[in-house]
Amino acid sequence: MPPPLDGVRVLEVGNFVSAPYCGRLFAGYGADVIKVEPPDGDLARAHGPFRDGVPHPETSALFLYLNTRKRSVTLDLTTPAGQEALARLAANADVLIENHRPADARALGLDHERLRAVNPRLVLVSITAYGQDGPYADHRSNNLIAFAMGGQMFLTGTQEGGPVKNGGYQADYQGGLNAFSAANLALLAAERDGEGQHVDVSVQHCMAPILEAGVPFYSYNGVWRAARRGNLMSGFMAVYPCLDGQVGVHVMARNWPNFARMTGHPEWLDDERFATAEARRQHDDELMAEVVGWAAGVRRKEAYAAGGEHRAPVTFIHTMADLLESPQLAARGFLRRIEHPVAGEAVHPGPPWWMGPDAWRDGPAPLLGEHTHAVLAGAGLDEARIAAASGTAA
Amino acid sequence: MSVAPAPLAGIRVVDLTMVWAGPLGTRLLGDYGAEVIKIEGPRQWDLLRGLGGIPRTAPRWYNRAAYFNHNNRNKYAAALDLRREEGRDLLLRLCARSDVLVENYRANVMDGLGLGFEAVRAASPRIVYLSMPGHGKTGPESGYVTYGTNVEQLAGLVSVSGYEGGEPLKTGFSYGDPASGVAVPGAVALGLRQRERTGEAVFIDLAQRENLTNFVGEFVVDYGMNGQLRPPAGNTHPRFAPHGVYRSAGEDRWIAIACEDDAQFAALCGVIGQPELADDERFATMAARKANERALDPVVEGWTTRIGHYEAMHLLQRAGVPAGAVLTIPEVMSDPQLRARGAWSPQTHPDAGTWDVETPPWRLPRTPGHARLPAPGFAEHNRYVFRELLGLDDDEIARLHADGVTADEPDARSHS
Repeated sequence: MPPPLDGVRVLEVGNFVSAPYCGRLFAGYGADVIKVEPPDGDLARAHGPFRDGVPHPETSALFLYLNTRKRSVTLDLTTPAGQEALARLAANADVLIENHRPADARALGLDHERLRAVNPRLVLVSITAYGQDGPYADHRSNNLIAFAMGGQMFLTGTQEGGPVKNGGYQADYQGGLNAFSAANLALLAAERDGEGQHVDVSVQHCMAPILEAGVPFYSYNGVWRAARRGNLMSGFMAVYPCLDGQVGVHVMARNWPNFARMTGHPEWLDDERFATAEARRQHDDELMAEVVGWAAGVRRKEAYAAGGEHRAPVTFIHTMADLLESPQLAARGFLRRIEHPVAGEAVHPGPPWWMGPDAWRDGPAPLLGEHTHAVLAGAGLDEARIAAASGTAA
Repeated sequence: MSVAPAPLAGIRVVDLTMVWAGPLGTRLLGDYGAEVIKIEGPRQWDLLRGLGGIPRTAPRWYNRAAYFNHNNRNKYAAALDLRREEGRDLLLRLCARSDVLVENYRANVMDGLGLGFEAVRAASPRIVYLSMPGHGKTGPESGYVTYGTNVEQLAGLVSVSGYEGGEPLKTGFSYGDPASGVAVPGAVALGLRQRERTGEAVFIDLAQRENLTNFVGEFVVDYGMNGQLRPPAGNTHPRFAPHGVYRSAGEDRWIAIACEDDAQFAALCGVIGQPELADDERFATMAARKANERALDPVVEGWTTRIGHYEAMHLLQRAGVPAGAVLTIPEVMSDPQLRARGAWSPQTHPDAGTWDVETPPWRLPRTPGHARLPAPGFAEHNRYVFRELLGLDDDEIARLHADGVTADEPDARSHS
């Protein structure tokens, strides 16, 4: 069966993480994705980590991962020739994904009115830090700044250590996934009546409402908890050191009896300090001391297996090595081996959701400009104009 | 440009999700036009109804929990005990009149209820059936119970999060949940597209841990190529400095600053009144700044501690330096940019009153999202579902009540 996005044509004028992640999902689910790169390439090519630690534009793990199964066309969008070629490609696209500051996007020919004139069906998806307008629309941002301005950083870390971001580029990934959902809604609408639109995804607006109960409790109840509690959110929601690593517990009221039995402490069930959810909250320090004691004596994989057997929400902190060795991921065929002509073989995550054996397609990330000639010639450009547009004219 | 119907107008969704990941996902479907019908059991109701800080002596306390009400606006609600044969049969009849089913139970629960994909497909041959369990529907760990903080541990994210030189650190909340929730409209849109093409039902298995492993994909690729486990790196960046969070004036206030090139660093030096630092050989190049980051950070903090975080942000941004205040929850709700964008808007709920809720997050100007309906009270739309959608008469509905298959109020003994 063809994959779900078979026949959908996507132009990605994306840099680094957010737009490329959105483009990766389009490509994985079967769309034809043309990635437009500046002549010196997507920033992610310069970022690494690189194979064997040696910087090389074709061996950055960040780029290799985010750009699987795309084609690469280099265009110099600071020139009229580059912008004209982009408009040619946009005329035949269903979706264009970009992640530039609004002022920069306009300077590169990525404004909606102009693109709409060449293709009224086009869904233009802009992923920016703050959205297309408003007082900070042209502020400079990156993953760190976005994590701060989206409210997630203040809650993360410890009181002493100060706010800290999560590993990697989490704000950027959130932007990319939100944009994928938004783009596909707009695509459904465009296919219904033949009209596209400019989809405006603000990373700040995506992040700020999802601070667990933070916004509802502050907005409605007028309370908010300022404390950052690190790994010890509460006795029953925490990451604890164990004999050979760390284990995490997340025990809701309904799991409490199973958890007590699984830890070998059925007497907790008869302890009035822990008898109800409210009592456990009241005696959280005492409960935490008990669970710390239990965790200190267990091995991580044994605790995980016991949690599974007893239906108690206990896991261990999986490293990348643990993912590659995971029996669960192996049984599901989630990890894929992809061969790249320069970087060699690497292991990649598979689809974020499974839709059948043929729904997700793997393929290597493209070399810089690998498809420039084929794509631009296919769009009717002659050699001279290809050279001018791609910035390779003498 | 004229406004057209919302992208999911005409799509009916049966929502069997509880707590955060699933309800956020189905709420987004409702925000963008779907008719979402949330089914709770008289005893298996969404536990967030009980976590609102509302005394249980208050009238209809279970309709007033703010967290529940944020995650469930734009939905209808009906009560059905799915463990009873009558409840299951009615659910299948509802599926026959619906386009999408979303559930986020542990992997084997729906099969145990006789409501697995094959059973629902038999009743509703064109259903898009989205399961979103922690581990997925298959595999040796699929029966393990898992919640949001477990998901980030399983995904590999915690192992690379934390302070530089410190132990792996959890995120600030159940991060796996919203990461799965925002995937739901994308997954459902793909399912609807597949259904249109094939004319057949579609099964989607969104394993929350796999979805979130995609957010650390570069670490997976790196490990596979190089066999290296990268320790937590805090707020630092592999190449850029300064790149971090610095104390601001005030109690527990902070500003994030990131210099990505020499020009931005020179601008920073100007703003903090030390332009000579731009030519200091310890800091003059990106590589030098990264190597001498520990000497540079206190210099930056010597300036940031003297002024407020918002003020520092504006001074730096005016000079072209990437900077942002580390916003608290009250600051997020009053932030001028989010206010200008209309990120918060008052909503009135018949039991809970009026307060600010988040608006649909993505702007689709031609097919805009809406906050049309406040979150439903428990069983509020029993009559709409049983009478109008399923065609039951008053006697049949009375029998469902008498038999305990439905109810007007949740059983308060659950979730204690």
